[in-house]
Parts: sequence; C-alpha cells; structure tokens
Amino acid sequence: MVRQTGGRSLLRSTAVTAAVIAVGMTAAACGSSAPNNSSAPNQSASTTAAGSSSASNPAQPATHTTVTFSYLWAGPEAAALEKIISAFNASQSAITVKGVSSPDFQKQLTSMSASKGSFDISDNFGNGVGSWAAKGILEPLDSYIKADNMDLSDFVPAAMDEMKYNGQIYSLPIAVHDFELLYNKTEFAAAGITDPPKTTEDLATDIAKLTKTDGSGNITQLGLGNPDTGTTLTTLGYAFGGTWDGADGKTPSPQDPANIAALKFYQDNIVNKYGAAKVQKFTAGWGQYMSAQDPFYTGKVAMVIDGEWQPVNIPKTAPNLQWGVANIPVPAASPNLAGTTQLTASTLFIPKNAQHKQAAFEFMKYLTDTQAMGDFTVALGNLPARTSMLNDPRYATIPQFSTWLQNLSSPNVHALASQPYSSQYSTDLVTDFKSVLDGSKSPADAMADVASKAKQYGSS
Amino acid sequence: MARPSRTGRARRKTSRRQLLRGLAFASPWLIGFAVFIAWPVIASGYYSLTDFNLFQAPHFVGVANYRHMLHDEVFWKSLTNTLYLTAVGVPVGLALSLGGALILNRPVRGQPFYRALVYLPTIVPVVVSGYLWRWMMNPQYGYVNEVLRLLHLPQPLWLNNPAWSKPAILLVTFWTVGGMTVIYLAALKDVPRELYEAAEMDGAGPIARFWHVTWPVITPVTLFQVVVSTIAYMQIFTQPYLLAQQSQLNSANGGPENSMLSYSMYLFQNAFVYLKMGYASAMAWVLFIITMAITAVILMNAKRWVHYGNR
Repeated sequence: MVRQTGGRSLLRSTAVTAAVIAVGMTAAACGSSAPNNSSAPNQSASTTAAGSSSASNPAQPATHTTVTFSYLWAGPEAAALEKIISAFNASQSAITVKGVSSPDFQKQLTSMSASKGSFDISDNFGNGVGSWAAKGILEPLDSYIKADNMDLSDFVPAAMDEMKYNGQIYSLPIAVHDFELLYNKTEFAAAGITDPPKTTEDLATDIAKLTKTDGSGNITQLGLGNPDTGTTLTTLGYAFGGTWDGADGKTPSPQDPANIAALKFYQDNIVNKYGAAKVQKFTAGWGQYMSAQDPFYTGKVAMVIDGEWQPVNIPKTAPNLQWGVANIPVPAASPNLAGTTQLTASTLFIPKNAQHKQAAFEFMKYLTDTQAMGDFTVALGNLPARTSMLNDPRYATIPQFSTWLQNLSSPNVHALASQPYSSQYSTDLVTDFKSVLDGSKSPADAMADVASKAKQYGSS
Repeated sequence: MARPSRTGRARRKTSRRQLLRGLAFASPWLIGFAVFIAWPVIASGYYSLTDFNLFQAPHFVGVANYRHMLHDEVFWKSLTNTLYLTAVGVPVGLALSLGGALILNRPVRGQPFYRALVYLPTIVPVVVSGYLWRWMMNPQYGYVNEVLRLLHLPQPLWLNNPAWSKPAILLVTFWTVGGMTVIYLAALKDVPRELYEAAEMDGAGPIARFWHVTWPVITPVTLFQVVVSTIAYMQIFTQPYLLAQQSQLNSANGGPENSMLSYSMYLFQNAFVYLKMGYASAMAWVLFIITMAITAVILMNAKRWVHYGNR
C-alpha cells in the first residue's frame, strides 16, 4: 500500500515537472512522501496531535494541534480574518490556528498535489467545489458533520447546493454574495427618472435616457455597464427566467430561450443601439474596478449589476457618489421572477492531503458559526451564509445593505452549478458573451457555439 | 591471436579514466538533464495516453486525448492563431531586423547610440512591456491610436477586435526585434569588403550588391534566425497572455473570440486551470511534432538558398 501510494506521488511530481517544462515555465516542486488518504475524522486528529504538539510549552495540553489556514484573501480582508483567528486561538487551548495569506491559486493547487499538504484548511469559490471534489482534492465533510451533529438547515439552500457533489458535502460557506442593480441618483435626477426600473422594459427606457453621446456619436455616458461580463450576463439570464445548467442543475444549457432573450436585450439596447465599436472604445477607457476611477463611481456609467461589497467600498472610495440599489428588473410579463438574483459563495474546505483534518474541521465550524461569520462578513461587507442572520443588527451599520440581504431569502435565488465542467463552461461563456458585446455574433449563434464546445467537456 | 600490448592496455586505461573524469565533470548537467528534462519528457509521453488530473492516479485511455483534439474547436482555433502569428511574425520580423541592421551598418555619426537604442527594448522585462503596450493600444487614451489619428489613419480597437488583436500581438513582438538586428549586424560586419569592391568594379548598384553579395553571405545567419524565431513563435505565450489578460484569477483569457489564444496558452489552460494534464501532455507532444516538422521542412529547403562559403 505504501509503495503503491509512493509511486503515485512520484507520478504526480513527474507530471507537474513534465507539464511545466512543456509550457516552458517554472513551478514549485511537489512533495514526495506517501499521501495521507485517511478520511476518518477522529483518526486523523489523534495521529496528528503528537506530530504537531507543542511539547515544549507546558501550558498547552498534550493533544495540542497547530492548524495552518492558507487563505486567498489579502489586505484589509486578511486583517479582518486574522482578528477572528486570534479570537479562536484565545477561545480554547487545544488548537492553534496559523493564518497565511496566499492569494495564488496555482500555489494552492501545487500544495494540494503533494502527498503532505502544507495547509489544513483553505478557501475557494462555490462553483469550484464540484470540479475539485471530482478530482479527489477535497476531503468529504459528511462524517465530520455527522459526528458533530452539526445543523446545516440554517445555511442558505442555494449556497449549500454548491457545496455538494454526488450527494456528499465537500465545503461549507463562510460568506455568500448576490447581485442587484446599483444606480446613480444624481444621473437619474438629471435624466428626470424618479424611481429605479422594476421591469426590463423600464430598464431599456432608462438605459436610453441615461446614455449620452457627443456630436460625433462618441459615447460619454452609458446607461448600463458591466463590471464583470460573466456575472452581469448570467444574472440577466436568470432575470429573464433562464437557467445556465439545465433542469437537472448539472447540464450546460446556454441555449435556454430565456438566456438568449437576456443577451438579445443587452445587444439590442446597448451594442446595436450605440454601435459595438463606439461602446468598446468607451469601455476601453474605463478606470480600474472599485478604484476612484471606477466608471460607476465617476458617473460614466449610470447603472451596474453588482455585488454587496459595494456599500462598504463606495463610502471609502467615492464618498460623494449619490447611489441607490434596487432589485434586478424582470420582464413585465413575468412578475413571478421578482427578486431574481445570482448567488455566489466563498467557501472553506479541507484538502485531502491536510495533516490535521479533525482540528481543521473544528476551526471550520467556528468560522461558519454566527459570531465569526458575522464578524467576517460585516468587516468585508459580504452576506452571511446563514438565513438566521438576515436580520442581524450588525449589518444595519452597512448603508443600503438590506436589498442584497433580504433577497437571499427570495425564491428566485440562483447559483451556477458546481460541476466538473464549471471552470471550462465559465471560460467558454465569457468568450462568447464577448462576441455578443462586440456585435460579431448574434446571441443565438454565440450560445450555439458554447453548446457545441460543451459537448466536448467530458466528465472530469 | 595476438595478446594486447602493455602500451595498448595502458592507453585504454588512460582513455577510460579520462572518460570517467569527463563524465564526472559533466555529471551535474547530465543528472540535471536526466531528472528535469529527459524523464519529464518521457513521462509526458505516457501521460498523454492517460486521463490524469494531478490528484488521482492516471487512467490509461490510449490515443483518446489525441483523438479528442480532432474535435476540439478551441484546439484548432489556438493552433490556427499560432500558425498565423508564426507565418506573419517570422518573415516580417526578419525583414525588420535585416532592414534595421543594414541601416545601423551605415557609417553615420552617433551610430553606437542608435544601435543601443534599437537593442534597448529587448532588455525591458516582457511583463513590463506587455502592460505598457496594453495602455499604448488603449483605443480611448493610447498613444498608438493618437499617432494614427494625427496621420488621419483608421484607429482600430486593437485588443477588442478579433481582426486587430493578432496584429497587436505582432506589434509587441516586433518591438523587441533588436536582438535579431544585432545578430544580423554582426553578420553584415563579416561580409568581406573585397566582394563589394569587386561588385562595384563590375558596375553593381546598391540593390545588386545586396542581392549578389550581402544576402548570399548572410544566408547561414538567416537560416539560424528563421529556425529560432519559428520555434519561439510556435511557443508564444507571454505576449498574448498579458495583452488578453482580464481580472479573472487563474485563467488564460483568449481575447475577443479567442483570437489571441495561442497554442501554449490553451495548453496552460488545460493543464493548470482545467487540470487536464493528460490532454495538456498530448498537446505538448503535438506541438513538438508540428515544430519539428516545420523545422525539418525549413532545413531541407535551406539547401536551395543557404550558401556556406566555398561549398
């Protein structure tokens, strides 16, 4: 058994080196000792305790464990997380968590491909769970959850759906995000618009009123911008009643008629109306997202579909911006779609090669409990992943947060599937969305192209 | 049968000792080559026949990865993009560098300064120049379109229009043509002056002197430049990756309609984003075979136009 797994480890190391040489780049070397494939929760805690115990410190108990938490967050977000880590360390004496800010996906993957992981717990986005779970990167959490009698019913259902693959739970959400319509109140007033649009028909009218051009037809202000092509257009697809992953939630369905209608809405009201080249020239001059030159902050864009982190950033970066937030408009003929939003999740996971799985789970449980989750999400301006926290008074300190918060309980919350194909599907969608934005393809042709590529995805 | 002489044995012993000593001196490189190049290359050949994601044991699938390429439209797109960049980039790059070298070879005051100026872009780190060019080609604020506007020429959406995105990549690569120019300059210095004098006496003008004296003498250097730059273009990664890069983490964006997706970028995407190591290995081998085939054609063809001194 040991020899076999050692051989596998050698293969892994060789593969990394081979691929790196093939691409002509350098990468960190993988470890070479036998992988730890143990998935029994309690076993790992007892065996790892001795290895990492701080025997030299008499104040700590014999089973003391040091857990390494490698996270992708950096800057102020990392600082907020470090405070929570300190609070956890102070709350008990059996586990010490060491936080490491490492915002590098490739480094994270490289570490997880080694036989002995360099960290015990880390974070990712919700739609990556299925792909990593299918490849055996993530530790299934069901046995830990069962042994602990952890109640999962409080977690936002759409987020929990992303945490599962083939019926097993591989991650837990620490925060969730949804998307609403932000609008510039000053520009609305200047254009004589009193209320934010409720229907997509109103949205089309407002885009026209809020888009300005100079004498040469060059755009000087755009009614609706897209800070992130992927999320803006997939969210619009949901708002038109579409789904991107079929009725079963695990089959790409780019050609859903509602998705095509959403893309057609964007193309008709922005791209075709003002000219693809003019729009592209204007958008190419936009400043960096969420900086002082962000086009929504500077008034170059009057409306955007964006996430709940904006209320924390806007007062810091654009304090004079008069802005509001409203539900994403839906077609007048489909009032049942009101409250449609797209949900994404920030997740915590334990890699399969973690050295201290049980202790890592204890820390994961702490992070996903109401106190730590509240501290973390309030600091970052993110949404809690627990429905019981929707009325938590701590969120009242964040301006205009309630629209994002309350829509978490909307029946029309959607999330992209977390399947092995998700990463590739997302890349292909964005590539063809851009063809819609530059007017080179009709929405139907663009989505037919994605559907054609999707046939080649395979099962892993 | 004659017994080997004592001197013969001694010579063989000395020669074996010298061989061992030589191998011992070369061993750091030999071991490095075996471990970091030869073995991974062989291993990638095996992985190309497997379904392998780095985290689970490879599963043998025969030639399925190679067969998959036939139906993978993104693969064909990336290959077409790369061949386009090679087919245009190599000859135009050669012409620019040779033209530059001919100008820099003229006896003009301050010539060393101009030579340094032409070479300067090649010492700028490619990541820095990539980001600078993104701004230079910005359709709203970029200097490139500003110059075109002053000249009353069309101002393309360089990085947003599939028709212009590949010329944009070529523009960035041509900016560093100084390296090839310096090699050509050294070759031009080696052209015997007496050949020019003889040609002049025969009444040859500047163009005739170039075609009948300069060009034949520098053809071996041209062959070297063609082979080296063909291999470089077939593996092009950094320039298109930087020019097409978006804010998305851990991705290799292919630009508008994947028009900037080079073969190496798609290989990277499969290996490190989709974790399809088997497919990526197969792609690496196909790239190797295509590059070898193109190089072989160039070398076979070289007999017709490359002149080596008196041969």
